[in-house]
Amino acid sequence: MNTADLLKKAREGDRRAIAQICSDTWEPLYRFIYFKVQNLEEAEDITQETYVKTLTYLQEQQAPLENFLGFMKTVALNVLRDRWRQKKRRGIQLNFEEINPAETANQDHQKAVVQRLQLENVLAKMSGDQRLVLDLRIIKGHSVAETAKIVGKTEAAVRTAQYRALQSLAQLLNGND
Amino acid sequence: MHDPENRLSDYIDTLNAEHEPEERHGAADTPEMEKLLATVRLVRTLREPALPAHGYPERLAKTVADKISKNKHMEQKQGMKPGKRRRSWIWPSVTAVVAGVLLFAALSSWSDWFKDDMVYAMEKAVAQLTNYHGILEMRSQNEAGEEWSVRQAELWSEGDKYAMRQDDGTLTINNNEQKWQIRPQSKEVALLPLVPDLVKTGFDLRDEAQRAKQYPHTVVGSEEIAGRQAAKLKISPPGGLEYYLWIDKETNLPVQLQTAMQNALQTTYTFSSFEPNTQLEPQIFAYQVPEGYKVVEKDPGQLVSTIEEAVAISRLTPLLLPKAPARIFAFLDRIVLDYGDTTIIETAAQGSFEPVAGSALGTAAGGPLEVWQDHLRWRQDGLEIQIEGVKRAEFARQIAADLTLPDSAQEIVNKAQVKVPVDLEIAKADQQQVDRGSSPWQLDPLQVSLTFVNLKVTPEGIQGEPKIPFSSFKLGANNGAQAVVEVADGPIKQVYLERLIRQDETGIWSVVGYDPR
Repeated sequence: MNTADLLKKAREGDRRAIAQICSDTWEPLYRFIYFKVQNLEEAEDITQETYVKTLTYLQEQQAPLENFLGFMKTVALNVLRDRWRQKKRRGIQLNFEEINPAETANQDHQKAVVQRLQLENVLAKMSGDQRLVLDLRIIKGHSVAETAKIVGKTEAAVRTAQYRALQSLAQLLNGND
Repeated sequence: MHDPENRLSDYIDTLNAEHEPEERHGAADTPEMEKLLATVRLVRTLREPALPAHGYPERLAKTVADKISKNKHMEQKQGMKPGKRRRSWIWPSVTAVVAGVLLFAALSSWSDWFKDDMVYAMEKAVAQLTNYHGILEMRSQNEAGEEWSVRQAELWSEGDKYAMRQDDGTLTINNNEQKWQIRPQSKEVALLPLVPDLVKTGFDLRDEAQRAKQYPHTVVGSEEIAGRQAAKLKISPPGGLEYYLWIDKETNLPVQLQTAMQNALQTTYTFSSFEPNTQLEPQIFAYQVPEGYKVVEKDPGQLVSTIEEAVAISRLTPLLLPKAPARIFAFLDRIVLDYGDTTIIETAAQGSFEPVAGSALGTAAGGPLEVWQDHLRWRQDGLEIQIEGVKRAEFARQIAADLTLPDSAQEIVNKAQVKVPVDLEIAKADQQQVDRGSSPWQLDPLQVSLTFVNLKVTPEGIQGEPKIPFSSFKLGANNGAQAVVEVADGPIKQVYLERLIRQDETGIWSVVGYDPR
């Protein structure tokens, strides 16, 4: 089945066509969402919601055949923005990028690479202790108790150290902008 | 547990447990806290994402189909047209999305919407490839479509190790510790330097998957290659020539590569047979000298673990990058620093520095920098430094801080005192001639200048040795698009040249001006 047929069938609610689209596209879409939310639970929910919104929309409108994945990524950003807005009750401005659909969806990988380089660059400027606590707690995913044991500090000291390390990192990143 | 330190810690724990932070709105009650939470998520991008459990795409498809069908049913019950109910949310944003995506589509190439997945699937399939055995055919054609050479090689590959048997029986093996060649015709085993490794086939599956992902690409069709159905991908490296890669639809592995026409030649690499993840004889990568063979050693160098050892062997004091190389090789007269995708070769500088004719010139360490194919070469602190590979410019800048690459936008020919008119039609015909493989001297600015100057001296034609010899011509500047050649003798002091048709290493040079002496 070619892509146009697949799309047509999916639009009509054909389960096999929907399964084929999900099977062909879920992983890059999921990874894109995970990159934003950084947890599996939310990433799975938003991925699902994105397919429902996109395919519901397809029942009514012609979908862009080209760059379908880019289209879905932008729908995912809208879903995400909507969810975060609903959660936000105190009206603090979310640090959320302005949506330029084509750019957001297509240059995301490139941006991620640059962001990673910048982040690694800034992390290299931090003290060894600060890097260690961020590495153990966030990158390696150890609990406060495990981290405390590894670094030979109390749990309260680990919490303070990670708070300060993140403050320094945020400041360094701001200075890097 | 309400102070910021604890709330931040809880947030990290929730993400580590792969749960949605329920109280994010509560935790991020100040811009300061919001910034810290965002920083946590940012740091977390350095780790691999947690992927859903096995069977997720099937579960996802079922839930999505159920929800869509439920929504449709409800809308029909309420007498609404499908898709209308959610319009209040979806309409403005999705309209903007469609406009943006259509605009993007109009500006970019028309492509299959699953192409990214195809390349992604290929990258994954290549990553899962532990080893393979295959027969690779390499066919080169000239621009007239005539077959220029046909070679075949049998390949065994496992991780970074490989063995390749060529048509004539020569077997080259690299087991990542040693590289050697067994030559049945001369009954020799030649020990070879491990890096730079120029023996590789030109069709490295991992490199190709990586490039295809990195560069803009379009699916342009489907073809049968060596009895397998394959998708044909057109890959367009920015600023480079387009080439094609065929991906086996069943295994998602690259099956054929066709390079762009370069130096009037185009090569097609095809796996005529391919067995992925197979049982390889472990002895294939083991160093052994067949009976009756003699070992020939031409300073293959040795793998050392520290720079000090390399210095002791080579008697050189190398210039080093802040980052340590993956491997260090020491030879009697040189040190090779291997960074995986990039190699630095440092030798003692001897004689005068002569850039390859036709190379573009920049500057480094106060002297000339040769930019030729995929390497940079210059002299610094009594050493000749050559850097090959993808990070050559980045690494070179770390060694020579004053490094400037040739700027092809810079005008260097407009200073010519006498302008020489060029007939573009003739230049185009000359270029085509060179592309077909004849008159390659037109790719060398020194040779073009030699012909031009000597024809000025003897307009009736060059008979025998030219009056102004080749040794009188020296490249003064070359930014890849324009060049100046200095002439030591004769009526012309300087020749100004330009690549009028194509500004890369396959472009011919035309004389556009000169300064009389």
